[in-house]
Amino acid sequence: MTTDLIKRMAGFAALCLAQALVFNRMHLFDCATPLLYVYLIIIFPHNYPRWGILLWSFTLGLAVDTFSNTPGVASASLTLTGAMQPYFFSLFIPREAPEDTAPSVETIGMAKFVFYAAVLVFVHCLAFFTLETFHFFDWLHWMECVGGSTVLTVLLIVTLESVRRR
Amino acid sequence: MRNLLEFLSKSGHWLLFVFLEVISLVLLFQYNSYQGSVWITSANAVTGRIYEWESAVEAFFSLTRINEGLTMRNFYLERQVDQLSRLYTEATDDTTAAERYGLKLLEQYELIPAKVVSNSLHREDNLITINRGRADGVRTDMGVACGLGVVGVVYMVSEHYSIVMPVLNVNSRVSCTIRKRGYFGYLRWSGGDPTVAYVEDIPRHAHFKRGDWVETNGYSSIFPQGVPAGKIIQVYNSSDGLSYRLKVRLATDFGNLRDVYVLSDKSIAERAGLMEAARDSLREKGR
Repeated sequence: MTTDLIKRMAGFAALCLAQALVFNRMHLFDCATPLLYVYLIIIFPHNYPRWGILLWSFTLGLAVDTFSNTPGVASASLTLTGAMQPYFFSLFIPREAPEDTAPSVETIGMAKFVFYAAVLVFVHCLAFFTLETFHFFDWLHWMECVGGSTVLTVLLIVTLESVRRR
Repeated sequence: MRNLLEFLSKSGHWLLFVFLEVISLVLLFQYNSYQGSVWITSANAVTGRIYEWESAVEAFFSLTRINEGLTMRNFYLERQVDQLSRLYTEATDDTTAAERYGLKLLEQYELIPAKVVSNSLHREDNLITINRGRADGVRTDMGVACGLGVVGVVYMVSEHYSIVMPVLNVNSRVSCTIRKRGYFGYLRWSGGDPTVAYVEDIPRHAHFKRGDWVETNGYSSIFPQGVPAGKIIQVYNSSDGLSYRLKVRLATDFGNLRDVYVLSDKSIAERAGLMEAARDSLREKGR
């Protein structure tokens, strides 16, 4: 339990710093910004307490907000993602899987994992950019931001996942 | 009672979810008001320190280019001062007047040097964090400039860091004038390209040409008169056709901003005191 907590805290700090110092500076084609910190929320195991996931998502969102001067934007959208994660993941678990199955390429397979990650990342990006722009005067740019960031984040998550597996 | 406990254990996380979302939304909306908390921004001590370390590393790699720009500017200004003081001396036979006036212009202002520790360009509401705060004499609504030109206005202050709303923020307005021609308007940015902004409300009868400099006009005491803002590159009609809208190439290179200074107007405290006294006397009368 304690090692799990320490591991998650290390992941928290690493993702938060990576977001603040690297990913927030990236704006490919003036729209795609990777929001890689969602990864921490995506990999919670099936039997992890739901309130725990919510608290983690909120705190991580708040930390990211603090770094990028967007109070409330990342925390609101990440809490939404964290609330969806356990319900959505339960659709992907194989029948005879143990209680503590965590989402990964190994447990549910590449195709399913990519789909699962893409949907959660999309929900997060959608909420994030909607709250950030808040008015749809430039809806084309808003759609580009959501689409571009989703694709970029999923690519990074798959890369990170395959690096971690080794 | 047991029912209540059962309900809580079953769906307590939904309550928690609603609670956390409400907190987030409160943060989201409160921050938009002017007096937000500085705790959850990059002006707090921890994030400020992290960004400061990072920018120290980054500064190493961009020093050469910044130095070049400053040297050029310095050279240009020195030439100008030299020329002007020569002209003035010729005209008035007063050899010390130029120096006396030169000092007088900046006497009203105190310059607080600061370093940019975090900066963004690509959002609509870009903000800059600098490493000077209340303890160094920075207050909200002070002007911020760099060697090349206008940067922005101090928006929030914590003990050791402050957040500056730069010209590259759709909410920013800086009162400006066209150099040597006197017409004034305000400088605002409409998102997109971080090297151009627009000056609006320039009257239709104004005379100027492309390539003229736009500078601060000193009306608001946030900036002294004559801090360069940018060069006119194109002229448009405003949407209602009543004024001109000037496209301006910004003098400040926001993508490469390192050393700035905060302009602290000594008379601000006096003005604020006067304002306070006026308000008090009005309140007295109201009773």
